[in-house]
Amino acid sequence: MTAIMEVQRLTKSYGGARGIIDVSFEVGEGEVFGFLGPNGAGKTTTIRLLMALLRADSGVARIAGLDCWRESLAIKRLVGYAPGEPALDPELTGGQILEYLGHLRGGVDQAYLRQLIERLDLDPTRKFRQYSSGNKRKVVLVQALMHRPRLVILDEPTNGLDPLNQQEFGRMVDEVRRDGGTVFLSSHVLTEVEQWCTRVAIIREGRIVRAGGVSEVKDIKRYEVTILFAGAVPAEAFERLDGVASVETTAGGLGLRLEMQGPADAVIKAAAQHRVVSLSSHEPSLEDIFLRYYEADGRAARKATSVV
Amino acid sequence: MWFRSIFFRTLRSYRIAILGWGVGMGLVVLQPLAAATTLVGTAAGRAALTELVGAFSWNAAPIAVDTAAGYATWKIGVFILMMAIWPLLAGSRMLRGEEERGSLDVLLSTPRRRVRVAVEKLVAMGTALLAMGLLIGLVIFVGSRPFNPGFGLGDALLFGLDLALVCAVFGALALLISQFTLDRRRAAGWTGGLLLVLIVVDSVHRLFPGTEWFSRISPVYYYNLSKPLVTSYGSNPGGMLVLLALSLVLGGTAIWLFARRDVGGAVPLPAWLRLPRRAAPQRESLPEGDWSLRGVYARGLATIAVPTFWWTVGIAGTAAFMVIAVKQVEHTLSGIYSATSASFIKTLVEKVGGGDIQTNATLLSAMFLLLPVLLMAFAVTQVSGWSGDEEEGRLELVLSTPQSRLRVLLGRFGALATATVAIGVLTLVASATTAAAVGLKLDGRNLAAATLGIIPMGLLIAAIGYLASGWLRAAVDTGLVSFLLAIWFLVSFVGPELQWPDAALRLSAFYYYGTPLLNGLQLTSVLVLLAVGALALAAGSWRFTRKDIAR
Repeated sequence: MTAIMEVQRLTKSYGGARGIIDVSFEVGEGEVFGFLGPNGAGKTTTIRLLMALLRADSGVARIAGLDCWRESLAIKRLVGYAPGEPALDPELTGGQILEYLGHLRGGVDQAYLRQLIERLDLDPTRKFRQYSSGNKRKVVLVQALMHRPRLVILDEPTNGLDPLNQQEFGRMVDEVRRDGGTVFLSSHVLTEVEQWCTRVAIIREGRIVRAGGVSEVKDIKRYEVTILFAGAVPAEAFERLDGVASVETTAGGLGLRLEMQGPADAVIKAAAQHRVVSLSSHEPSLEDIFLRYYEADGRAARKATSVV
Repeated sequence: MWFRSIFFRTLRSYRIAILGWGVGMGLVVLQPLAAATTLVGTAAGRAALTELVGAFSWNAAPIAVDTAAGYATWKIGVFILMMAIWPLLAGSRMLRGEEERGSLDVLLSTPRRRVRVAVEKLVAMGTALLAMGLLIGLVIFVGSRPFNPGFGLGDALLFGLDLALVCAVFGALALLISQFTLDRRRAAGWTGGLLLVLIVVDSVHRLFPGTEWFSRISPVYYYNLSKPLVTSYGSNPGGMLVLLALSLVLGGTAIWLFARRDVGGAVPLPAWLRLPRRAAPQRESLPEGDWSLRGVYARGLATIAVPTFWWTVGIAGTAAFMVIAVKQVEHTLSGIYSATSASFIKTLVEKVGGGDIQTNATLLSAMFLLLPVLLMAFAVTQVSGWSGDEEEGRLELVLSTPQSRLRVLLGRFGALATATVAIGVLTLVASATTAAAVGLKLDGRNLAAATLGIIPMGLLIAAIGYLASGWLRAAVDTGLVSFLLAIWFLVSFVGPELQWPDAALRLSAFYYYGTPLLNGLQLTSVLVLLAVGALALAAGSWRFTRKDIAR
């Protein structure tokens, strides 16, 4: 798969304040790429650098082989962009905004535009100032897709959308991908990234901490086993077993939560020497992975996944 | 302390304005005080001045103009009401601006009643105006000591109070109007238009005898009832009380309406005041062929069409009004000319602000100096729109389309330039038509030079504003170009009277505007203005194509 987006050691600071540092990743043509990170991590800075709204201090960003800063005009012909905070002329109606941006793009297919409007259930006759945040989001999503771009860059695209429209938007993303287009979206809604994206990158404090396929990042080699015993069992008995990364006592000493990296054979055999009430194994969700990278001590957050 | 309450928080946000406007307006009053010492130095000078200023009564009633304080009070006339620009901006922004940003929702979610929130903000604006008045009074008193102008600290402070009160009326009016509009800019625009109209309404009775009843509808009339610096005339407590009462009624009504309307909504106007509502047919959902949506230039033009219309009405209307005013005093002036030594009159007219030849043109030339100031003020408001659009993220999507940054900037500047040219041309049409209608004889080519000559001035300040927006936030950018305008104004109006060297006077753009009504088009000066404007625009474009787009 050829890369449509190549980012190498991209760095941007705001005076003394951190922006992003040495960010590198690639996005292949035809894939849906998720860019994950909490508020202030550097997602929007990266996207605004790609859109030539900011100028990088160093590093290179290319889209379709074109330099994002020097050849931004050519890039913008290929790209549809939805910013994180929709800000448009409050006096124009949604329809007028779409017409204006359509003209600036040299014209768009009106039938397709109407179709997008209907699918997202947008009322284009109301002024932008009268729209709810969800409807404002719909306007920027429609304008990002209306010219059938080769690459769509979306900054937190589902913010403010209701679940039905989120589903519809998911279908649109899927259609873009099926038609050979590429989608680059930032989000902190992990379930939708897990659902829609083929690859993800996680950014933390301006640096990429992990990038890869969703399945790779989910790190299937690392999983969690939770065992509840009838009586207290010493955790030390499991700590040195083959495949165990760490052990934590739960349920007042009756339970153990084991983080595994490798075969579970030794753990099963050791557990069998005691009276087991229940045993569950849990593959980490993307959210677990995400939280792991954001925990201060680097350990995975477990409370969301404990199953007894 | 400053974050203890809404009042203190609001007052804190006004601190730079208090200092800037307080000291700035104090200096505006100080300059004619300084100049008057030479002007009224001789008995002959005082006598001629007394006769002559009657012709300029549109500006202010000439009271004791043979004294420094009287001359200064008359000379600052309507110009001092520039200060009302601040309260009208602050009043329109006070609630409506916060509603636009969404910050009022957060403020109103705290356990405070709406009325209290609004009252605290309004009182903070009133306090800021009083502080400005206090500063103005202090600057006048301290600065005028070397000239011994004959008034005391109390008089200077009363002058500041009178000014603060009339400004409070316009601040409260802006707050009231903002209850009926959905955006602060419209409220500020309407209030600005009313300010101009009410200044003219006040001046009517000084030009047309028997019309005082009409002028009484203007708050400016009650401001002018007091002339605290002229100790023989004094202050009019009744006039000041009227201003205070007006401020309270307008502000109180605004708060009453605010407490009863939707946050983010507007008070519906009575049916007879509402524009007919257009039905929204289906085809409007995706309009096709709307000229204003065809590009950045067309969009920019449509955006500034309404403010351009009102500014045109104001500027062209002012020009036409000045022509009528000159016609009114033409007869009086002929009498003065015949009764006094011609060279002496010439000198005095120059001091008053004009040139040195024909009476009509000389008088009108002095008045027409207001036109470039007004057009430049229009340009400043539009610069504010450009930098505000960037700051509020409205350029982001436009710049994500295949439009180069340079094209976007030039498209917007082109729209502003078109509006500026339109205002200049319509001002020419209005003044020429009025002159023909009232039978005032003027040199047509010079009139064209005087009215069209304001265009390069507008373009220059706009280009400088665009250049500064490459580095500065919208509020700072607007403040900077406003400050530059005030400085130029001071240099051109104080400098000659204080015998400043020509090199210093050349630093002001008004120097290059000159007196075209008397001396015709000075091509070199126009070219200098255009060249500096073009340089500023080129540098601004260079910067804009390289900078980070703000959010």
